Amino acid sequence: MVGRKITVPKLLIGAILSVLTLTMFVPIMNLFAKAFSSPDKVRLIHGYDIWPKGFSLVHFQVVFSNPLIGRALLNSLFITIVGTCISVFFTTITAYVLTRKNLVGKTPLMIFLIIIMIFEPGIVQEYMVIKDLHLLDSLWAMVIYRTINVFYLIIMMRFIEEIPESLMEAAKIDGAGHMRTFTSIVLPLAKVPLLTISMFYVVARWNEFFKSSIFLSSRENTVLQVLLRQFIVEGDTSALVGSANLLKNNNIAQLDFSALKAATIVIAMVPILLLYPIILKHFAKGVMEGGVKE
Amino acid sequence: MRSKLKQMWTDKTLYFMLLPGLLYFIIFHVWPIIGMKLAFYDFRIMGNNVFVGLKYFRELFSTPIFTQVIANTLIISAMKMFLIFPIPIIFALMLNEFMNGKFRKTVQVVSYLPHFLSWVVIAGIWFEFLSKSTGAVNALIQLFGFPAHDFLTDKDSIRWVLVASEAWRNIGWDSIIFLAAILGINQSLYEAAYVDGASRWHIVTRVVLPHLYVPMVTIFILNVGFIMNAGLDQVLNFTNDSVNSQIDIIDTYVYRVGLINGQYSFATAANLFKSAIGVTLVLSTHFISKKLTSKGAW
Repeated sequence: MVGRKITVPKLLIGAILSVLTLTMFVPIMNLFAKAFSSPDKVRLIHGYDIWPKGFSLVHFQVVFSNPLIGRALLNSLFITIVGTCISVFFTTITAYVLTRKNLVGKTPLMIFLIIIMIFEPGIVQEYMVIKDLHLLDSLWAMVIYRTINVFYLIIMMRFIEEIPESLMEAAKIDGAGHMRTFTSIVLPLAKVPLLTISMFYVVARWNEFFKSSIFLSSRENTVLQVLLRQFIVEGDTSALVGSANLLKNNNIAQLDFSALKAATIVIAMVPILLLYPIILKHFAKGVMEGGVKE
Repeated sequence: MRSKLKQMWTDKTLYFMLLPGLLYFIIFHVWPIIGMKLAFYDFRIMGNNVFVGLKYFRELFSTPIFTQVIANTLIISAMKMFLIFPIPIIFALMLNEFMNGKFRKTVQVVSYLPHFLSWVVIAGIWFEFLSKSTGAVNALIQLFGFPAHDFLTDKDSIRWVLVASEAWRNIGWDSIIFLAAILGINQSLYEAAYVDGASRWHIVTRVVLPHLYVPMVTIFILNVGFIMNAGLDQVLNFTNDSVNSQIDIIDTYVYRVGLINGQYSFATAANLFKSAIGVTLVLSTHFISKKLTSKGAW
């Protein structure tokens, strides 16, 4: 392209963008550096360091030696995996029904969805519903209370509307019912939006902490984000202290709590980082395509 | 009528497939909406709730804390709205100065990441970042000869911390929509401008910016619609006793009064007030957006 040579303003813009990016990159890497450093060298890590000093996995060992954290991690994984599967299935099947042309009652159903989308009943009422369903302190409360997100349902509907009607017609002529059409035509063709909304659901469910802290009260039903909140926000490191003492008796050098916190944060970030390439590919594309169409 | 019933009977599988979804919406959305009638009743653990009319609303508005909470909500929302709004646009324009090279890719990949981290994790990162003794920000401040400052417990700075962390989390992600609009600009427009001897600055202001008008208006108007949501998850993680009075918003207030103190009716009244204003704003901004840009929220 014309006029794309290096100029002073361009260098300046590059510098601004670099600084902005560094404010995101450095603090995140700094946590990794702390978590992976050896305990005696953690104190040498400055806020701007991005490499661990004296590599060691001791902080992770301590964190995992705490049964509470292992339990919370399993609970988080259960809610995320089972919840996402249920969400994706019911979102897609509902979207399929709502996109059928001759569906009687389609307009009232859509108005109903819009009302639901903009009216928030609030946390007290949600709590009471979960209580009335006898789901308090059950992981299933976290799985089912957000089965269908209306925004993702609409994304799915827009996609299904784009599948050529003739394909569905052909299936109908071949004797396929709606269930059959859904499983053998819509699902295989909807791989991209299925992956996209799955990522949305995974991220939302993995990151959820507020509702978990309300709906799940007992220690064995706690999730990773709630535990993390106890360490970071409430400064309650008693769970960590226990295991740290355990290691002290084994003559391991004194442990730095900020490094233990860092290790826990790193554990909470790992699933997002593992999925990040897929997220980038599908999310960004989905958002961009949505943007262009608008 | 008869033909409609007949159609419904032919489509009975469809309604069967719709059943779980419908059940979900009724249990988790309609039921709580009906439950909001609690705002007009006295909640009793035993026996029936007693109708008390607007008692709790009158109580609500005579509580000075509630006025403070509304003010906090509006101030924090407005700060976020006006201060953060231009940043993703500027970010997209700056990024557009670089072709699809390694630099641009890196900036994009890193800047989208914070959007996918939970507020707990972000709080963890920011607490370290702003720490008085070991944080990078204070290290920098001291380098320039200023005294270290504890931003998280200072009433004057905590709202700025909310704005800054919100911006930090979302500028990259929010810029995607503007980048998409920029990519959608016809190449021949650029070329025509170059032939006419336009400078890079002229191209940005005369060719690119006008194309961002529609997404700018749409997003700004939508933000206005959500002004009653100042960010529950964020505030819950950044709050502490010394700054609570500055950042206690309606959502945190409802949570505290309702679920922690168990004043269900009172908290429901507060929430109903918030939801009513929220719905009015969303609906009106939706219609304004339709008028201005022919695009609504749905």
